[in-house]
Amino acid sequence: MTTRTTARAKTILSARGIVNRFGRQVVHDNLSLDIMRGEIIGIAGGSGSGKSVLLKTLVGLHEPDAGEVLINGKAVQSIGAEEIATLIGVLFQQGALFSSLTVAQNIMVPMREHTALPAEEQEQIAAMKLALAGLPAETGIKFPSALSGGMVKRAAFARALALDPKILFLDEPTSDLDPIAASGIDALIRQLNDSLGVTVVIVTHDLTTLFTICDRIAVLVDRNVTVATVEKLMKSDHPWIHEFFHGPRAEGAMKARKASHGN
Amino acid sequence: MDPSRPTVVVSGEGNRLALKGDLGIAALADARNALKKWTKQGPKRSLDLAGLDSLDTPGALFLCGLRVHGVDLTGIRAEHQALLDLICGLDLKPLPKIESVSRWRQLVIQIGKGGHEVARAAVDITTFIGRTASWTVRSMLHPSTLRPASISRHIAETGIQALPIIGLMAVMIAIVIGYQGVAQLRRFGGEDFTINLVAVSVLREMAVIITAIMVAGRSGSAFTAEIGVMKTRQEVDALQVMGMEPMQVLVVPRVIALVITLPLLTFFADIMGLLGGAAISQFLLDMSPTQYLARLPQVVDGSDLFVGLFKAPVFAFFIASIACMHGLKVTGSAESVGRETTRAVVKSIFLVIALDALFSIVFEKIGI
Repeated sequence: MTTRTTARAKTILSARGIVNRFGRQVVHDNLSLDIMRGEIIGIAGGSGSGKSVLLKTLVGLHEPDAGEVLINGKAVQSIGAEEIATLIGVLFQQGALFSSLTVAQNIMVPMREHTALPAEEQEQIAAMKLALAGLPAETGIKFPSALSGGMVKRAAFARALALDPKILFLDEPTSDLDPIAASGIDALIRQLNDSLGVTVVIVTHDLTTLFTICDRIAVLVDRNVTVATVEKLMKSDHPWIHEFFHGPRAEGAMKARKASHGN
Repeated sequence: MDPSRPTVVVSGEGNRLALKGDLGIAALADARNALKKWTKQGPKRSLDLAGLDSLDTPGALFLCGLRVHGVDLTGIRAEHQALLDLICGLDLKPLPKIESVSRWRQLVIQIGKGGHEVARAAVDITTFIGRTASWTVRSMLHPSTLRPASISRHIAETGIQALPIIGLMAVMIAIVIGYQGVAQLRRFGGEDFTINLVAVSVLREMAVIITAIMVAGRSGSAFTAEIGVMKTRQEVDALQVMGMEPMQVLVVPRVIALVITLPLLTFFADIMGLLGGAAISQFLLDMSPTQYLARLPQVVDGSDLFVGLFKAPVFAFFIASIACMHGLKVTGSAESVGRETTRAVVKSIFLVIALDALFSIVFEKIGI
């Protein structure tokens, strides 16, 4: 895992000197973060530490008060609509599936907007994305309101993958899911990263996700990030990071890591 | 063609071809056109992929399709192998087709559904109105269960804040009636009767109808949306498990508030409408406001005012009940909040007009 990271160690996304302020409250203070091509990076932090704001900043939905985000060397705010759609895919926390469209139509939205493919072919691709996200074809004609929590996440996954983005941003992909569904999502992320080579940025509280599939973890503490591998973060003497990686919940996750990494 | 668009080039001849370039979603149509004849079964063919720079999932899907049709994929780069394995390994089924129904059958189905819905709505409304009435009476009998804070908030929102718009509308409606009246009655030399026309129609019908329709659109929709959003966020369920009856907490205060507010608003609209009549008299009939005021008691009496005001609380009760009923009918999605709000407004305005027609007949029969 680490060998692969170093082999492809080319920055795909780079955030420089990000400052985010809400009124008097400073959420990010001169935060810098480099994301490498092909890696899975987890963004962790306590509630209210600005994880979601950071994600919004990275995908260009929120303009920071200072600093800039570069994707492939280009400022994210200046990238055109079509290019951004093929560059990034976002899985929103609640799925954000359009409720007036079926799942398949949801997946076809970006294709309809940005490609000239005939409808029939779009349907084939939508069916393939569904299968890729681990959903049966019958799900395609259902409306989002008829889906369970895990299926909504998978359907949103399929839509995020619609245009084969280079970077996939996942906001709490395993929240609200039962452990089996959550492990399924973890495996899916790993598989997509392996076979599509997509860079994955995960914002999560889920220690198992962080420990088992992330190559590196960016911990948001003190309005900034500390980025390192799990091993290094385990040895950190920052009190919050220590608590995070050594608390009672961390132990189970650590076991899962050992099981999945075979050491 | 956009020069920056990624392209794919097919080279070679006969049964041995090679792909070069980027086989992505943007170049898919080109690749398919170039290899059209290959999608059928045929003699042994092969496609060399060594020159392929990039491949995405739709591209891989296309290649897997070729493979199924007996095309040999050769020279696959290592980085494309994993992707091809993944996509070709998927258990792909086409999306199920939604059954199409012929147009005339659709029409019949729609008429049937419409009829069924009307019948069900009638039952629903009757049931809910009954429940609302029963809960309201029960709350009145036990005043400690009334929620004065909630009632007063709704009175402020549905009443006080609606004053400007309702006043303005009443004045304008009086002007409209006045102009029509003068134009028609002048032919008979009876333009002075315009005052009768304006005063009677404002007091008996126009003020209450305009106010009720405005309140149905303004506050009825707000009731449905408020309760509907609470429903989608499970707040209504939360009330129930905490031992509070949604009918009592959500519906009764709104009904009581509207039953108090609508007659008051109607009275306000009456006054504004009569003021509009005064303006008409001044400009069209050269009658001073003092003369107009002196004429008023001769053309209208207490029963005209009473007829209008009597209808207001009845309309209010129906508007509030229907709005709350639709709010409680909201399920899950945000879309259903919008749908139920529309239904509530349409039904309450329809019911207001239907009841008004009924009242007209009844008052005529009993001679008020």
